[in-house]
Order: sequence, then structure tokens, then C-alpha cells
Amino acid sequence: MTGGEGISFEGITVAYRGTVVLSDFSLQIQRGEIMALIGPSGSGKTTALRAVAGFVRPTSGRVRIGETDVTDLPPYARGIGMVVQNYALFPHMKIEDNVAFGLRAQKTETGLIADRVKECLRLVGMAAYVGRFPRELSGGQQQRVAIARALAVQPRVLLLDEPLSALDAQIRRSMVEELAKLHRDLPNLTVLYVTHDQTEALTLADRIAIMKDGRLCSFGPSHGLYSRPPNRFTAEFLGRANLLPVRIEGPAEVGLVRVRFGDVGLTVPAHPTLAAGAECLLCIRPHDLRLAEPHHGNRLGAAVTHVQWQGDHHVLTLDCAGTVLRLVSAPLREPPAQGAPFDLGFAQVDATLIAHE
Amino acid sequence: MLVWSRSGRWLCWSFAAALIAAVYVAPLAIILAASFAGQWNDVLPSMPTGEHYLDAVSGASGEALWTSVVTGVVASALALLLGTWAALALRAHTGLLRRILDLLFFIPSAVPSVSVGLGLLVAFSRPPILLNGTSTIVFIAHMILISAFTYGNVSAGLARMSPDFEQIAESLGARPAYRLRHVTIPLILPHLIAAFSLSFALSMGELGATVMIYPPGWVTLPVGIFSLTDRGDVFEGSALTILLILTTLAVLIGLSRIPTKVAPR
Amino acid sequence: MSEAALARPLAAAGGRLWILPPLLVLTGLFFYPLSLIATQALTGDGTTVSLDHFAAVFRSGLFLGALWHTAWIAVAASAGCLMLGFAIALVLSFVPFPGAKEIARFIDTFIALPTFLAALAFTFIYGSAGVVNGALVELFGFETPPVDFLYSPWGVILAEITVYTPFVLRPLMAAFSLIEASQIEVASSLGARAPRIVRQIILPAAMPALLAGGSLCLLLTVNEFGIVLFIGAKGVITLPLLVYDKAIQEFDYTAACVIAVINVALSLSLYLVYRAVIARVGGRNAGVV
Repeated sequence: MTGGEGISFEGITVAYRGTVVLSDFSLQIQRGEIMALIGPSGSGKTTALRAVAGFVRPTSGRVRIGETDVTDLPPYARGIGMVVQNYALFPHMKIEDNVAFGLRAQKTETGLIADRVKECLRLVGMAAYVGRFPRELSGGQQQRVAIARALAVQPRVLLLDEPLSALDAQIRRSMVEELAKLHRDLPNLTVLYVTHDQTEALTLADRIAIMKDGRLCSFGPSHGLYSRPPNRFTAEFLGRANLLPVRIEGPAEVGLVRVRFGDVGLTVPAHPTLAAGAECLLCIRPHDLRLAEPHHGNRLGAAVTHVQWQGDHHVLTLDCAGTVLRLVSAPLREPPAQGAPFDLGFAQVDATLIAHE
Repeated sequence: MLVWSRSGRWLCWSFAAALIAAVYVAPLAIILAASFAGQWNDVLPSMPTGEHYLDAVSGASGEALWTSVVTGVVASALALLLGTWAALALRAHTGLLRRILDLLFFIPSAVPSVSVGLGLLVAFSRPPILLNGTSTIVFIAHMILISAFTYGNVSAGLARMSPDFEQIAESLGARPAYRLRHVTIPLILPHLIAAFSLSFALSMGELGATVMIYPPGWVTLPVGIFSLTDRGDVFEGSALTILLILTTLAVLIGLSRIPTKVAPR
Repeated sequence: MSEAALARPLAAAGGRLWILPPLLVLTGLFFYPLSLIATQALTGDGTTVSLDHFAAVFRSGLFLGALWHTAWIAVAASAGCLMLGFAIALVLSFVPFPGAKEIARFIDTFIALPTFLAALAFTFIYGSAGVVNGALVELFGFETPPVDFLYSPWGVILAEITVYTPFVLRPLMAAFSLIEASQIEVASSLGARAPRIVRQIILPAAMPALLAGGSLCLLLTVNEFGIVLFIGAKGVITLPLLVYDKAIQEFDYTAACVIAVINVALSLSLYLVYRAVIARVGGRNAGVV
């Protein structure tokens, strides 16, 4: 029911009173995809979203929705749907009037409005609440209505600005699942999802763009970005990472290189640009480290400094030749004692070389 | 709880009660008593009578009540329009210009009302516009004096409103006029009502500017009360004062009961 | 949210001119008349600009007396408002009793009532034939009314304290409601008695409200007209009353304009002080101006 369009940022720069908050930002979002824009606060992600909505005027660059250049269009002419952190349901209108607001503002034929409102509220599971006022609903319910309100106008793109940040953890988890289901129901809907929560991004997004200091730091398919982070910031912002300082010694088999960490030699996937002799970092996710088994070619000797049990998993803090490593495993029947030696192993494919910044 | 001992608390309360009674209750009570006084030769008035109220609602005094209500309603409505318009329009400006404009709209509340009256007298007793001796000049004086209060009240309301509401409305396709009518105005309605209430109360009690410019046929309550007490008719003056208070409070309470759908903050 | 603060609606760019209509109304009906007052003060009824009229006014004892009265009545009344407001707010907020809120609201309604009300009531209470004097004469057989302050500056000051204390009380009650009860309980548990708690916890928290309320009172008392007119004491003339006397009783518009210019300048300076204070201590505390 909702026809989606792509979004392109073409060299967007936004400066405010001399401070550059978004710098030469370019990104293509495909029709029907969920793109998560993540980064720490002040990284420019909200500014990028607001540039699409039209609430921020770029100093230079163009924004396109589909084929239309919307840079100079006012927000009301852009055909977007938007959802913000604090829901912003109009407190003086009933739920049905909130959802109908955009349709009425755009002078939709009266006869069509009621059906459209019902359809959108059903989509978010709020059909039973039409006659209520927003203050009578819980936070999670209000956010569902806000989503229905944004969908009612059949937006060309849906902009979600930290939509779940105001909800408590349990409701947030179920809302993530509902958003995923919503997108399965509306596969053509293009979604730009701004969040600082990497779990939401990894769960929902087809692709993720990571921002830092007003710039695009990295972007790519969610899974690839997580398993092969292109730089240190991405590795540490998207999930947790162990980073070992290593030096590349030379090529091994096809696609692999030998690296040296202290006096240990390891074989890991090659990096597209880093050559023999380069000092760089080796990234291994905590859940990819484990107790060494015979088939592991890559082994590291370490000592346990701390053991923490967190219910469904154990976290081990290890010291490996002066580098602190973190290992996450399924609950251990007999956790190692503090100070005990611990032989680490990891699979070649689970390691990624990252250039120093 | 600051004072823990029972006797200390009672001491505080008696002290406060005495202060409040002397400063706030006594003045209202004495005017009320005077408004019913048949004569006042002893310590307290005697021979209670409703005559002063009959005088107060008939003849010149009755006209003053009507004049004040009309002036209050018209001037407050005009000031509400002026102040709201200014507060809304000022949002398109930023920086120093905005601060200067903001200051300008507040200034009428800062200058002595007598000077405002004098200024209008000087300005509109000469061509091109002759308004001296008309009731229009009274409306103008009241509107200008209270416009700063409506402006301040509405500005405060706008500043408190989250910008998300208007932005969401705009993103959903609402043009500026539609957004103003269906989102902004309803959301600041409580502030508009409060602004109108305060304006009306201030207009009802305005004396400084009015006494400078009022024409013979347009005597407001405060001016009427002053001329009554000035020539010794203090009891009728008191009755008229009580009527002024009651009218003001009735309008304030009535307006505060208007349902606005927006939950109070 | 620093990023959210960057809201710069595109639509606003075209809306800049909307400020013109209200600005024109204000200019035509307020700033233009004020400018004519200044013009008349400088030129008199002629056309040559000179400071002669100012010089003449400054030489008059009546004006100097009015200036002096205005200043010290305002200072004394504002100080009184601060003290009375602080005392009442302290009891209502920190020694609460059922009905304290209603009393605060009752006092607050005085903001909406005309100021001359206090002056009128005071003539009944403290006037030479008023309740207090009547009672004293009856009880002790004085020859003349013993209470005789009403027709001095003190009468005006007392009436202004009555009328303007709510302007201090309102921000003070707001400030006091932000002090956590636990702070005072902890201080009490550490052995501090009421006077020390007031001095070391409540007074510092009340300082912004006192500054804002005090500077507002100063402005309002300098501009006060109704109370002075209603009390009508021969010896108590303030600047607004002098403007009225010159213009309406003596038809000396030039002198009235000169005094009005000085009065407006004084008020505007006080208003700028008030703005500076609230900009410094935050918020438009009185919620009125």
C-alpha cells in the first residue's frame, strides 16, 4: 500500500553558526530498505535525518527523494512520514484524529480517510483505541500511534528519529520485533532509522551507516559491517571488539597473511591495502575467542584476571602479553580460577585486520 | 518541615496569620463593610444598607461599570491579537534582531502608564489624527499597556511547546496556515486564555493612562471610583470597588473553566 | 540535545515580514507618542531645540522633591515586599498547614486587582477618622488621632507593600517548591536549627527569586500612580503624579513632558536591570512581565 522511494544525500554539508555539524555527507538509500544511521550523540545523524525532513537547510549539497530534488522544498511538500523520540502525538486530538491529521491537511477525500485511519491503526495493533486521547495511552502505545500517523499519509520515505529511546528496555525489545514485522508487511517502504543503539540497528537494518564527528565513518550491509569492520571506530561502536596490536609479516595461503603479535605468529585473512611490514590491529569479537582446541591453528597464551557470570553467559577478562582481552562464552560448568593460565584459540575467518587511525 | 516543636509551629502560624490578616484580609473586609455602611461615626460602620449598590448600578456609576467591561473586553481582545501575532511572528527571527524586537514588545509594560497617556494626548490632539475626546483613545491606551503582558504570556507558552508538534504536523503535509490553526493555536490555548484573563483584569484596574485621556462620556470604573471618593462619596466608591473586584474575579474564574483539552502543565 | 536545537524551518525564511504589522501598530500607537513627548520636552511650544525646559524643571523644588520621594518610596516599598514576601513564603512552604495553598492563591489574586484598592482601604483603616484611630481614641481618650502616618510617604509605602508583595511571593513559592524536603530533613538530622537552615539552605536557594522579584517591585513602585493619587497627601508627590498634575491640573504640557521623559528614562533603566537579572538568574520568574 505504500510506494517507497530511495533517498540520496549528495555531498550534504550543514553548518550552524560556524560549526560544521555535517560534513560532505553522501549516502544512497535504496527503495524498500531499512538504513540505520548510528553514531554517538553529536555525530550528525539527527541532522542528516532532519535534512531529509526539511527542518535543516544544508549549506551545500542536495537531498533527493526518488528522482525529486527536495533540497528547496518545504517539509510539507516532501511526502515524508516522521516519528520522533517523544512521540509528539497532538494532545488535543483523539487517536483517530491524530492519525487522520496528515490526510486532512493534504485535503484527502473525506470518504477515504476513515478507512485509511482504520487500516493504519490495525497495522500497528491499535485499532481498539481510536476514541482515546494520547494521555490515556502508555509510551509504547503512543509510539505505535505515532507510527500509524506517519504511515497514514502513504509517505515516500519513513524517517524514524530514535523512536524507541524513550521506552523501557522490555517494551523496546518487543517494539523492535514489531517494527521488523511492519517492514515485512510493507516491503516497499524505505526507512531511515536514526539510533544510538547498535542492537536496534543490527536487528532491524539491511544496511548500517556509522557516523562520527559529522562525517560518514563507514557503511555497508549490517552483517558484513559487524563481522568485517573497516576501521577501529566501527569495530568498537558496533558491538564489542578485542584489538591486538600486530605486524604483518607476509602472505600465507591465498587470501591469508601471517602476522606477529609479540612472539606469537598468527594466520588471518588479508587486508585489501595493508602490506607486509605494516603495524595494524587485529580485531576479534569476544564471542569468537574460545578455549583452544586441537584444530585451532591460531593460539594465544593468556591468564585469567577476572570471571563474571551473567546468567546466560560467562565473561572472562584475560591478560595476553599485556593486552586485555574479553571472552564471552556459554555458561561454563567449571569456570577457571582467577590467575589460572588459559589457552585461547580462534578461527582464521573470525579475525579482521584494521589499519591504525 | 522546618519547625519541629508544636509551640514553635503555632507561633509561626499565628505570626503569619496576623500578617496576612492585617495586610490582605483587613483591606478587603473594610471596603466590603464600607460598601454596606449606612453611617460610620463610631469605630465600626453601622446601619447596614444596600443603597450604595443601588446607586452603583444606576446612573453614572452604572455606566462606569459597563464602560469598564466594554473597554476591558475590547482592549484585551485587541491586545491578544497584537501580542499573539507578535509572539508568533518573532519566531522567524534569531539572534540580536530577535532580542531587540522582544525587548520592544515588552517595553509598554515598563513605562509609567501616566506617560503613555500623556504621549497619546500629545500625539492625537493634533493632525493628522484627532482622537482626543473620543473613547477610541481609551481603547488604544489600554490595548498598548496590556499588549506587553499578552505578548509575554504567549511567548512563554510558545517557548514551552515542544517544536516536535509543529514539525511533525509539517512533515505530514500541513501548510503553515493549517498548522497554525490546528496545532499551534490549540496547543497554546491555555496561555491565550491566561493572557486574556490577565489583560482583562489589568484593563479593569487601569487608572494612570485613563485619567489622562478619558473623554466625558467614557468614564471607566477606577476613574469613577476616584472622583466619588475625591468628593467624599466613599461608601458608594467602596460599593463600586467591590463590584469591580467581583466582575474581575467572575471573568477570571469563568475563563479558567474553559475546557482546552490540552492537559495543564 | 544539541542537534535538535538546530531547528531552522525553511518556511520561517519567508515569514520574516509577518512581524511588521504588530511592529507598526506598536510604533504608531506607542513609540511615536513617546517620541512626541521627547520632542515637546526639548522644543516646548516653539521649534528650537534646547535643554532650557529640562534646566527649568531641575531647578524646581517640586520636581526634586518628587524625584526624591519616588526613589525612596520605591526602595523602601521593595525592601518591605521582599521581607513580607519572604516571611509569608517561608511559613506557607516550610511550616505547612491545611489550606496553605489556598492562602497562597488568595494573595496571588491581588496581582489581578487594582492597586488603588489598598489605598482606599487604608484610608478606612488608618485615616484620621479610620478604624484604628477611632478605637484608640475611644479606648485611651486621645485628643487628636494618634496614628498619623497615612498621609506621609509611609502610607504610600505600606500600601505598595500590600499590593506588590504577591510579585515576590509568586517566584519565591516556585523556588521553595524546588527545595527538596530531604535536604532540610538531613540538615535537621545533623543538628541544624531553623535559623541556620533558613540562612544556609533556604536563603541561597531563594536568592534568584528575591533578586528578580525585588527588581520587578522596584520598577512597579517607581511607576505606581493609583496609590499616590488615592491617598492624595499634599506632601507626597511622586514623578507619575507630578506628570498628571502638570498636564491635567496646570495644563503645562511642556513641563509634564520633561518630567515624563525623566520618569520613562528611569523606568527603562530599571527595566533593563530587571531583564539583566532574570537573564542572569534564569527564567521569567514573576511570570507576569
